[in-house]
Amino acid sequence: MIGIDIGLALLLIACLASTYRMVKGPTGADRAVAADLLLFGIVGIIALIGLKVASPARFDIVLVASVVGFLGALSLARTITRGHR
Amino acid sequence: MSILEIVGQVVIVLGGLVFLSAALGVIRFPDPYTRTSAVGTAGGIGIVLVTVGCLLVHPSVSDTIKVIAIVVLQLATSAVGSIAIARSAFITHTPMYGPAFTDLEWEEAGEHVADEWGAGIEPGGDSSEGRPD
Repeated sequence: MIGIDIGLALLLIACLASTYRMVKGPTGADRAVAADLLLFGIVGIIALIGLKVASPARFDIVLVASVVGFLGALSLARTITRGHR
Repeated sequence: MSILEIVGQVVIVLGGLVFLSAALGVIRFPDPYTRTSAVGTAGGIGIVLVTVGCLLVHPSVSDTIKVIAIVVLQLATSAVGSIAIARSAFITHTPMYGPAFTDLEWEEAGEHVADEWGAGIEPGGDSSEGRPD
């Protein structure tokens, strides 16, 4: 199970880096891209923790979270342009 | 520990390394467009590798169907979301970093650029129709 722990550590580093960019990023697009990467990292962490605790619903949560993340990325893109297309 | 479990853990670590490269790109790249390219490619592949690794550690039939749905949806949607963010950055005139020639200058300079580059190229194309400003 050492591989799962290494994967969790790498995903945590990626989440911390995207949080840094989300706080510091000079433009709104930087923050939106960092939020996208943060969501991907959180979804991966959900999958790995669900594997560690042997939850039967882990892939359901990942499926729903990836679809909601796509909708979130699209609405962030609309928010950057203040509603213009 | 079976051979499939070891392969699954290796795939999970590969997905973590892909995420680490995306994080490196988000930290070090200079402008939103290059950061978008880092996140859009690495995010989709990273989630696919992590979920397939999770399936390989504890394989079952119903989980296989869910993982196939996750892989198809993730590969289809992550690039679309990232490109939507990059396009809205382009629409709001976020500056590009240091190239010799940017598409934003091409749009704003208009006629002069067309004269210099000559040969009947329409600068900006049909962008005057749908652009807000």
